[in-house]
This record gives sequence, structure tokens and C-alpha cells, in this order.
Amino acid sequence: MDEMDLLSQLKDVPPLRSEAYEQARATLRSAMVESGAAPVRAERFSWVRNFRVGVLGKVGIGAIGAVAAAVAVATVATSTPRSAAPAGAAAGSASKAPAVSSRLVSLASDITATDGPLPGDASLVIRTQTVANRAPYVTYNLYTDGGDVYVTDTEGALPAAIAHHDNLAEPEDSREVAAARLAATGDLAKAREQMVNATANPWGLGLSPAAAQEAWDKAMAEEQRILREKGVTRSPRPRPTGKALEDGINNVLWTNSVDALARGAEDPDVRAGVLRLLSTIPEVTVADSTTGGQPTLTITAGPAIFGDSAQEVLTINATTGLPVSSAVSPAPGQDPADATPPSLETYQSSRVTLANIEAGKF
Amino acid sequence: MTSDAELIGRSLTGDRDAFVEVICRHEAAVGAYLARRVGREAAEDLLGEVWVAAFESRKTYDRSFAEARPWLYGVALNRLRRYWRSRPAEDLVPDVTSMATGWDPWPAVDDRVDIQAVLRAALAELRSEEREVLTLVAWEDLTVADAARALGMPAGTARRLLHQARMALRNAPEVAALLNDFNSVKGSL
Repeated sequence: MDEMDLLSQLKDVPPLRSEAYEQARATLRSAMVESGAAPVRAERFSWVRNFRVGVLGKVGIGAIGAVAAAVAVATVATSTPRSAAPAGAAAGSASKAPAVSSRLVSLASDITATDGPLPGDASLVIRTQTVANRAPYVTYNLYTDGGDVYVTDTEGALPAAIAHHDNLAEPEDSREVAAARLAATGDLAKAREQMVNATANPWGLGLSPAAAQEAWDKAMAEEQRILREKGVTRSPRPRPTGKALEDGINNVLWTNSVDALARGAEDPDVRAGVLRLLSTIPEVTVADSTTGGQPTLTITAGPAIFGDSAQEVLTINATTGLPVSSAVSPAPGQDPADATPPSLETYQSSRVTLANIEAGKF
Repeated sequence: MTSDAELIGRSLTGDRDAFVEVICRHEAAVGAYLARRVGREAAEDLLGEVWVAAFESRKTYDRSFAEARPWLYGVALNRLRRYWRSRPAEDLVPDVTSMATGWDPWPAVDDRVDIQAVLRAALAELRSEEREVLTLVAWEDLTVADAARALGMPAGTARRLLHQARMALRNAPEVAALLNDFNSVKGSL
């Protein structure tokens, strides 16, 4: 026996209780949600995030722009006035057709009419994010037509990710894309409901009033649990009504739609469907713009759907509808101390084949 | 199995579940690491803070290392240092050997069992860096190179510190007596 053997007698300690591990993981998850630091994909803006950041005085913003930074893109030339969607549609009545923006719907029709079958079997989207004054962060996102998702931070790492089957797809991904496709050619009110319900949320869209209230109460209970873990005491909030309810639902609709666009941009039906869905949001305005010498459209989601603390500008190619960038900026008049960091994310999309990428041929 | 480094890489691209998977792989080990140093109750309180600190600093993770456990020990140690600094002064007995690097809790550990008391007293006499390397190797089963990773120091430095710690421990009179007793008994059997 030597001193190391002797020392090992102090090694044994009672294990932590299982609930302590669960509590620690819950603390981590809460911190992740609060940080909102999910770059790129993934951590979608579930109702928990939107709701909780709202509670804490920040804002839930679209997945693409969540982290991304702030340089306002493009120049606004003219603005197309929008007609308001009936409040009943937002409140859960799928039978009422929402009002639509002729500009977006017109482009959606052009996209579906002119775009033919896609080459390849996957889309490679290079995202470059810049938050505030930080260095740009680039990720390589491969979306296969079969629904797999591979994300790496170097192009060269993609083949290994495919070989190791590091598929990051989540069930929400395919639900969002399916809702966008439905919106392209099918019942827009139904597609709108499907897109909102693609991710968990507390609104109970499409449910009976009693079931919707039940969903809200359940969400409140979960929120209370999370707040207690964080040492925050706050009374449960009543379910919003009217415009506040509509804004909450539209927050999810915007977020999920933009997420679908980033994921399925190479599919004309997805692009067209997303444009039709965004056209149903009264807080969205559309303007012609120019980006890098190319005609673009800037689609602005106003502060109302982000708790009045931020706004998001999605810039798309005015001819193809392909996403160019997404910029988030604080709402006018926002206290800088509470403001959402300005962010910008740009997209560079191309069609590829999975086999070529796996073989390292880019 | 996907490496910790790959999962951390995924977490940097927005896959938060990937980071939780890393945590799940090492929570028992890191929990025990904390419990050995501050007891189970405080360890349970600190574990979540360690995960949050690790998540917030994951961009600094060197992904050339496949396994994250040494890095997580380093994160845990930083959190422990904060914890020790935050303890009321009356709860603690300063260790002059470690004043230069901040508060050291080891002398405050109680002496419940003779052997444990002797060992803990001997550990308390070590420099904090020596003690950290020694206990990471002896208790957490790290290699010297991984202990160096955890502590953010060159492997050669960790090797020297481990050697110094072992010599100091071996030459401490009470520890030397214990070793003599054990080895005498073993030799007589």
C-alpha cells in the first residue's frame, strides 16, 4: 500500500439523490431557455420560451433572428397597407379565412407557377449570424428531402456528421414544413392552425373554449414550476383575449413559418406557403427593397407580436422568395438596458446531393 | 457513440439537448467530485450551477478532446472556489499555504474518523494546486494529463505537482505511520 491507496479510502461518498440530478438538469434547461442563445436551428421558440421571456421582460422572437444580429438590411421603398385579419381567426376559428396581403400572395403564386422540380436531394444552407458586435458565426446546415438535418460549424465536418448519422431533425421540423406546403395550395385557415400547432404552445388553437382554457391552465402550472425553481414568485396570468391573444398566436405563427422557410427554402411550395401564412398576420408589413443590387422584399413583423420590445425584418428575393437575411432590432423607444440585442443572419442556399456531401464534394 | 466534443459542437449550433446529453453522461462523476469536497448536501445545491457555468462557457471547450469530464471537473472546481469564498469566515480556518490562490476549505473539514482525519490533515498541508492534482488522480481516476486539462495547466506541471504531493503526503509523519502499520500487517500475513 502506498499513499495513493491510502488516499483512496476517502474516495467513497454517498451518491447524490436522483432528484438532485433532475433538479440540476432542470436548472440547466431553464438557463438555456433564458439565455436564448440558441444559434441557428434547433431550439425552437416553444411557448415556454416565448412565455417565459415575456414574463422576464424580454421578448420571444423568431427562431432565425433569435440570435442574429442587427444591421437593418435593405431599403424600404414603398409600403403596402395590410388589411387586418379577423380576431376570430387568431382566437382559434379555423373557418374564417384570414385576410391576405396581395403582395405576398402574388409572389407566392408566381413561385408555384414558375418553379419546376428541384435538382438534387438536399438543401445546403450556410447561415452567418452576427449578434451585436460579436464576430460572425457560420454554420453549415444540410436539410435532406427525407427530413434529416445535419448542422456543423465547418463545411468539412458535414461528411462525418452524415456518416455518424448525427441527424438533428425533430418532429416539429417536418410538421412545420408540412404546414407550409399545405398553405401553398390548400386551405389557408387550416394551414395556419397547423403551423401554429406544429410546436407546443399554450394557445389551444382549434380547440373548444374549455379545452383551450385547460391548455392554458396546464401551461401556467408549468410556468409556475419553472419560476419557482428560479426563485421567482409571480401569480399565474389569466388567458389573454382579443388583440393580446391574437398577438401571442401570431408570434408562434411567425416563428414557425420563418423556421420552415429557413429549412425548406429550396422547395417552392414551402416558400409560397410561408408567404401566404405570413400574409395573414396583421402586424406584418411588406416593402420593396434592394439588397446587393438585387430586388428584394422586406417583410417586417412589428413589435406587437414580440411583446413590444423587438421587431424582425425578413428579407427575401423579390422574384424567387428565397430568404436573404433576417434582422432583429429593438422596438423603437426600447430601453437599451432591456433591449433585445440587435442581430443579423444571412442565408446562402443551394441544392446538393447527399451522396456528394458525404463524399466531401461541395 | 457520439463523443462529448461532437455533442458540445452540436450545442453550439443550437441543439441544446446535445449538451444535456453530455451532462447526463457525467452527472454522477461530477456529483461525486463535488460531494467529496463539500459534502452531499452542498453538492446537490451546486450541481445545477456547475451545469449552467459549463453551458455558458462551452464555446471555450477544446473539441480536440473527445471526452469532456476533465473539463467539467475544471468548471466544477471554479464553482467550488466561488462557493468556498462565499462561506462565512467563522466557518472556516484559513490555510496559509493557499492564501495566494484564494480561500481553501480543506483545513475546515471535520475529523470524524482517525484515518480520514490523518489524511485530511495531511491534504490540508499541501499546496492547493498539489492537492487538486492529487485528488483528481486519486479520487476521480484521471490521468495526469487529464488532471492538467481540468486545472488548465501544462501536463508537465501537473506531473511535477503530483510528484511533490505524493512525496509530501508520504513523508508526513502521521501518514508515514499509517503506511507503516498497513504494510507491516500485510507483510506479516
